[in-house]
Amino acid sequence: MIADLEPQAENTTAENGETITVCFEHVSKRFNAVVALSDVSLAIRRGEFMTLLGPSGCGKTTLLNLVAGFFSPDDGRILIGRQLVNDLPTYKREIGMMFQNYALFPHMTVMSNIAYGLKTRHLPTREIARRVADVLALVKLVGLEDRKPRQLSGGQQQRVALARALVINPKVLLLDEPFSALDKHLRASMQMELRDIQRKLGVTTIFVTHDQSEALSLSDRIAVMSEGCIRQVGRPDDIYTNPCERFVASFVGDANVLRGRLVSMNRTQATVALGAVQILVQSEPLLGIAISAPVDVFIRPEQLRFTEANEPCASKGTIVSQVYQGGHVDLYVECKDSPRSRLLVRLSEPRASICWAIGAQVGIALNTNEAIAFPIV
Amino acid sequence: MKTQPFLRTLVTPAALCAIIYLVAMAMVLQFSVRAFVPGSLTPGGLTLANFMALLKPLYAHVFLNTVWICFLTAFSTLIVGYPLAYALVHVRHPLLKSAILITVITPLFLGEVVRTYSWIIVFGNNGFINSILLALSLIDQPVQLMFTTFGVVVALVHVTIPIMVIMLSTALAHIDRSYVKAAESLGAGPIRAFLTITLPLSTPGIVAGVTTAFAWTFSAFATPQLIGGGRVNMVSNLVYQLGFASFNFPFAASLCVAALVLTGAVLSLLRMAARPLERIGPY
Amino acid sequence: MPRSRMQRLLGIGGTLIVLAILSFLLLPVLVVTMAAFNDKALLSFPPQSLSLRWFINAVAYQDFRTGFQNGLVVAPWSASIALVVGAAFALAIDRYRFRFKRLLEGALISPLFVPHFTVGLGFLMLAVQVTLVNTYVVVIVCHVVLVLPFVLRSVYVSLRNFDRRLELAAASLGAPPQRVLITVTLPLLLPGLVSGWLFAAILSFNEFTASLFVTGQRTQTLPVAMYNYVREYADPSMAALSVMYIVGIAILLTIANAFLGLGKVLNVEHDR
Repeated sequence: MIADLEPQAENTTAENGETITVCFEHVSKRFNAVVALSDVSLAIRRGEFMTLLGPSGCGKTTLLNLVAGFFSPDDGRILIGRQLVNDLPTYKREIGMMFQNYALFPHMTVMSNIAYGLKTRHLPTREIARRVADVLALVKLVGLEDRKPRQLSGGQQQRVALARALVINPKVLLLDEPFSALDKHLRASMQMELRDIQRKLGVTTIFVTHDQSEALSLSDRIAVMSEGCIRQVGRPDDIYTNPCERFVASFVGDANVLRGRLVSMNRTQATVALGAVQILVQSEPLLGIAISAPVDVFIRPEQLRFTEANEPCASKGTIVSQVYQGGHVDLYVECKDSPRSRLLVRLSEPRASICWAIGAQVGIALNTNEAIAFPIV
Repeated sequence: MKTQPFLRTLVTPAALCAIIYLVAMAMVLQFSVRAFVPGSLTPGGLTLANFMALLKPLYAHVFLNTVWICFLTAFSTLIVGYPLAYALVHVRHPLLKSAILITVITPLFLGEVVRTYSWIIVFGNNGFINSILLALSLIDQPVQLMFTTFGVVVALVHVTIPIMVIMLSTALAHIDRSYVKAAESLGAGPIRAFLTITLPLSTPGIVAGVTTAFAWTFSAFATPQLIGGGRVNMVSNLVYQLGFASFNFPFAASLCVAALVLTGAVLSLLRMAARPLERIGPY
Repeated sequence: MPRSRMQRLLGIGGTLIVLAILSFLLLPVLVVTMAAFNDKALLSFPPQSLSLRWFINAVAYQDFRTGFQNGLVVAPWSASIALVVGAAFALAIDRYRFRFKRLLEGALISPLFVPHFTVGLGFLMLAVQVTLVNTYVVVIVCHVVLVLPFVLRSVYVSLRNFDRRLELAAASLGAPPQRVLITVTLPLLLPGLVSGWLFAAILSFNEFTASLFVTGQRTQTLPVAMYNYVREYADPSMAALSVMYIVGIAILLTIANAFLGLGKVLNVEHDR
C-alpha cells in the first residue's frame, strides 16, 4: 500500500473545500544546510484528530510550526480553510496552540490567561466572561480563576493551556508533545480527556508526538514521518497492520524480524518460506524481488507463539529473558534467523512465565496470517 | 556534608575588608556630629550645627537639584537604553550582537574623566555641535550647552547607558521566548504582545536598572564638575569643595550623611512604588 | 517567518532607533578622535590641519606618566586582593551557612550604592587618623572596597553555573577537599575569575571620584591627573590621551571577548 496522499483529490471543489481544514502542498523547509521537510503534502479533514508521529528530527515539529506561522516554507503552499497562509503572520491565523512547556503567562491569573485570546479579538466583556466560564467547566477547572500559574500543579497548568487555546474557537488546534512532561497515569487520563473534549467540540487537531502508543490510542489518522518526509498516512489500525515500508513497520509497535526466502509471487500475494513453514504475505512491497531471494518478515509480538511438540516451526531459538508485565509476559528469544536482535514473544496465558523458563529451547510459530514482508536492506 | 572546611579562611579576609570599610564610614558619621575647627583637621566637640546648616536654602537647593538630575537621568537612560537592550537580546546575527555589545560596554571602561572630556568637546562654543549648526547656518550664535543642566544630564545619560543596558538585557534574556509565541498564537499583534507580555515581564530589570542608575548618578562627580562648571551643582561637588578646598571635614561629612539618608529614602520610595509593578511582573 | 506590513515597519523603525542611539553613544568617541589630530590648540571644528603633536605632548607630560605608572601599581594590586577576598567569600556564600552571612554580604555590596565621594572622604579621614595619607596603601584599600561588589557578582555567577557534581565525583575518587579545590573547582572557575579580575582592574584604573580624595601628589592616578589637566589647560593633549585610552581599552575588550565571551560574563545571552 502506498502512502496515502489525498490533497489533489479532495480540495478542488467548493464542497470538498469545506471538509479540508489544513492542507500542505509540496512543502519544503531548510534550516541553513539541514533539510527539515522535503516535498511534504498532507490534507487534514475538518474535525479530524491527526497525529504527526516520528523520531526526533523527522520534521514533525517543523510542520506544526509552519501551520502556526512561526516559519515560512521555502517551497510549496499551506492552506488553512481555503486561505493561502504562506505569508500570513501568526497573529492573523485562527489557530490555537498548546506548547510543550504550556507557556502560561506567569504574570496573569488563570482567568486573564484564558481571556487573552478573546481580548485580542475585541470581544465584549460579558461575552468573554461567559466563554471563559464555559471552557473552565469543560476542562474541569472551575474555581481556580484567580490563581497564578505558579500556584497550579502540572496537570492543572496543562488544562489552563488547553482551555486558553480552545476558548477562541480556533480553526485548528495545534499540540506540540503536550504530555511529555507528565507521569504515566496523569498522561493516560489527560489523553482521554483531550480526546473527549476534541470530539465534543469537533475541532480539527494536529498532534505531534514521538510516542507511538500515544499516537495509536488518540488519533483518527496518523502521519508517520522520518527525515523530512511523510512515510505513510492512515488510520491507526491500518498503520499497525499494513505498514507500507520497513521504517513504519519497525517504528509503530514492536516488530520482530525473521529472515525468510521468497518462494512464489503473484499480483496480490506472495509465498515466503520461514523455516519449516510457508506463509502468505502481501506481494506489493516485494515487487521486483527475484524468487529464492531473502526477505525480512515483520511480525508483531502477539502474533508469535511457541510450537507444540512435533509441529513444524518457522524458526528455533533459546529463551534468554522474561519480563513479567502483569497482564502478559514478554519472552525474549535468541534466534539465528532474526537478523537484528532477539525475538519478542508476548503471551497472555496466566502461567506463561512458569511454562517457558529461561534457557528452554523452543520452536517459534506464527499465530496469524497477517505478516508483512519487505526486501532486505 | 556537615563540616564546613576552610570556613574561617574563606570568610576572614572578607570580614577584614568589611570592618575597614565600616570603620571608614563610621568616621564619616562621627565627623558629621563634630564641630569644625578652622585651620585644623581635628574636629571639635559634639554638635548638630552641621546638620542645622544644611537646612539653609543654599544647600537644600543643591540637594533638590541633585535629586532632580538623578531622576531625569535615570528615566531618560531607561527610555534610551530599553531599545538597545531589546536589540541586544533579539538580534540573531552573532557579529551584529557583538558589535552592539562592544559599542555599549566600551564606554563603561573609559572612566568618567575621558567620557566627560569628550562631551566638553561636543558641547563647547567652538565644539562639534555648535560648529555643525553654524556651518549649516541653522543658528547665528553658538548655543550654550556647557554649564547647563541639559548638558550635564545628556552627558550623565551617556555615562549611565551601559549599566542600564546590562541590567535590562539580563532581565529580557530570561523571558522565555514561548510566551511571546503563545501570545501571537492567540492573536496578539507585535505591539500588543510587547505591551502585554514582554514589558510586564521585564519589570524586575526595569526596577533594578532605574534604582542602580539613580544611585550611580548620585555618585557622579566629574561630569557635573566639568560640564556644570560650578553653575550646576550636585552634592558630590559640594562635598569636594568643602572637604578639599576648605578642609571643612565635619561639614563635608554631614553632607555625606545627609546624602546617604536621602539616597536611602529615595531608593526605598522607588522600591515601594515598584511593588505594585512587581505584582504585574512574573514573581 | 511571515511578517505583516506592520511588523516590517516596526522592524525598520526599531533598527533606525537603535542606530540613532548607537550613534549617540559613539559621538563623543568620534569627536574626541577628530580633535586629537587637530593641529591647532583650540578645541574647534572642523580640524584645519592634522598633526600628531598632542600625542607626543601627552606622552611626554610628567603628570600623565606618573599617573599611568601609579595606575599600573594600584590597579593590579586592588584587582588581585579583591579577587582573592571576593572569590573566597563568594565560595563561602554559595556553599556555607554561618552567622552574619547576610550582614557581611550586605556590607560588602553596599559600596555599589554609597556615593564614591562618601567612601573617598571616609578613607581620607581614616588615613589621616592612622597617618597613612599620600600612601599607596590607602588608595589600594579604598579601591578594593569599591571593586569588591563587582568581583563578588562575577564569581557568584560562575559558581551558580558550576556543576557541583564534578566535585562530588572527585571526592568519590579519593581526593581530599583541598585537592578538589585546587584541581577541579578553581580551574573550572578560571574564566569567571579572570574576567572578574580584568573587570576589577579596569574599574580601579579608571576610578576617579574616590581617588580624588585619597590620592596625593605622589600617588595620583591617571584619571586624577587628567582632571587636573583639564581644569588648567584647554589644549587637545587630553583628547590625544583619550584616544590612546579608547584604543587601548577597545583592544583589551576585544581580546577578552574572544577568549571569554563578554556576553556570557555579563549574563546577556538569551536562555534557550
